[in-house]
Amino acid sequence: MKRLSLVGRVALLASVVALVVGVIVASALLAVLSLRHAESRESQAKDVTVATLGVQTLAVEIQSSLRGYVLSENPRLNPRFLTLLRGQREQLPGALSQLYRLVADDPVQLRRARTAGQEIHDYLTDYVTPVIAIAKISPADARGPASGDEDRLRTQQIHQELGLILATENARSIHRAVHTKAVARTAVIIGIVGLAGSAVLVLLFGAWVASGVAQPLRRAADAATDVARGDLSVRLDEGGAGEVGALVTAFNSMARSLEVSRRELQLQNERLRESEQHKRDLISMVSHELRTPLAAVLGFTSLLLEREFPPDEQQRYLEIVDTQARRLAALAGDFLDVQLLEGGGFELDLAPFDLIELAHEQTRLFFSHSESHQLILDVPDEPLIVNGDRDRLAQVVGNLLSNAIKYSPEGGEVRVYVGERSGRAVFSVTDSGLGIPTEDRERVFDKFYRGAAKTTTVGGTGLGLAVAREIVTTHGGTIDVDSMLGTGSTFTFELPLSPAPVVSV
Amino acid sequence: MNGGHLDDRPRALVVEDEDTLRELIIVTLGEAFACEEATDGDTALELLRASPPDLMLLDVAMPGRSGIDVLREMRADPVLQKVPVCVVSAWQSPGDVAKALEAGADRFLAKPFRVDELASIARSLVERRR
Repeated sequence: MKRLSLVGRVALLASVVALVVGVIVASALLAVLSLRHAESRESQAKDVTVATLGVQTLAVEIQSSLRGYVLSENPRLNPRFLTLLRGQREQLPGALSQLYRLVADDPVQLRRARTAGQEIHDYLTDYVTPVIAIAKISPADARGPASGDEDRLRTQQIHQELGLILATENARSIHRAVHTKAVARTAVIIGIVGLAGSAVLVLLFGAWVASGVAQPLRRAADAATDVARGDLSVRLDEGGAGEVGALVTAFNSMARSLEVSRRELQLQNERLRESEQHKRDLISMVSHELRTPLAAVLGFTSLLLEREFPPDEQQRYLEIVDTQARRLAALAGDFLDVQLLEGGGFELDLAPFDLIELAHEQTRLFFSHSESHQLILDVPDEPLIVNGDRDRLAQVVGNLLSNAIKYSPEGGEVRVYVGERSGRAVFSVTDSGLGIPTEDRERVFDKFYRGAAKTTTVGGTGLGLAVAREIVTTHGGTIDVDSMLGTGSTFTFELPLSPAPVVSV
Repeated sequence: MNGGHLDDRPRALVVEDEDTLRELIIVTLGEAFACEEATDGDTALELLRASPPDLMLLDVAMPGRSGIDVLREMRADPVLQKVPVCVVSAWQSPGDVAKALEAGADRFLAKPFRVDELASIARSLVERRR
């Protein structure tokens, strides 16, 4: 499943918090509403009680008015009670209808109220009215015990019925008060719990934002400061929601690539420094190497100009001057080659060509002038195609052949072999010279190393093999030497056969 | 070069691994000196110990023991301490010159050198000794 983005997560969590807070507020509202309902119910019970008591009072007053009228000395002279009674009778329907209305939702109470109403009505029509009529004619009869009993009986019934209503309402009122209290307590609890819950949720949300967003951002900022100070090894823990995770990943990849480029720069710098040092060494070496032949040329020229020598000595010194001047020229050329090859400003002109044909060409070139050396050419008849720079490889072969001739004694044998071995072209030149001591074999390819040639009459710049090695390795090949003291040396180079991989230095 | 007769010419030891330069120095010193030759430091020390010469011309960069090493060894040897030495070198930076003089060279001659300067240095070193 795809991870939600940070915005998505914040929105989701905020929605959850809002929903929970909404539910809590709704519950509190419901509790308050239910409290109000309970309160109104309670007050309704009180109203019923008041209305019932009103009816009861009226009934008592009617009874009192009747008694007052009957018991007075001369009821006819006493219309005050009748007036009271009339007023009470007029009030009665209102009081009763109010009571009916209040208990309309309760069938039991309504029945009781209607019974009480009917009884009051019956009391008025069946008893009060006749008794007043009797009292007007014969007050003494109206005061009789029989009528008193009837009155007591009827009013007792009325009071009993109303008492039942009151008792019920009273009980209901007590019950509702208890219920209201309970509802109120529940409402308070819901409110407190909801408030606390909301607070906790909001705190949790804040904590999540802090840990999921603010902290990673803080760490990223600190890491960025470290990077600015130059510490590129700093990395952030991967992970984190959406955009934060993306930021962390991007930061790490930035730091990584910065580190890589800095390392590359340092390496490049190092290489530049090395190459600078190399160049300085080379220049110092070359200027030193130039001084020796120069000293010979200048010295012998001065001597020839300033002093008298016998003709044969003159001739000898002139030959030395000639040889040393040529050595200077060769040095200048080889130095340029080394400089070009090592400086990397040199590009191979790669093309497939026949190495056998090159061997024939070069041996013809070198051995036509040197009849004193014996050439043994061991090459196959069919062509051997390599992908290389023909002119440069001709230079390599030329260097090897000229060395072989230089270091082999008069009439010595020079063997040239060309062949194929494990998918590579092999070219070797064997001389019949003194051989190279083991400890010097590694150094023959070093610049200006001339081995024993320095103290002998063998000329050379000490750069030929260094140039040859550069050319061969630039072709992706190898060059090495095998030698037996007193027997001779074999220089062998190997090249990849065509098609060759493109090789760069 | 040497006449074979018993001579009282000053004896010079020429230490130089390049054949042409060794020959150049010997030809330059000419008939005024009886010259001996060495192509490396060890041979030079052998010849020195066999018979200390009146003058030594010493190359620095040679196979094996360098000219500076030979010079130090000479200056530590009571018999060879006083032999006048002119160092002849292609290495001629101020550091190279200082090193040669510290090791005990009397003169320093840079390659390529003027032949008349070499001859006059050789003469003056021998005269000072005598």
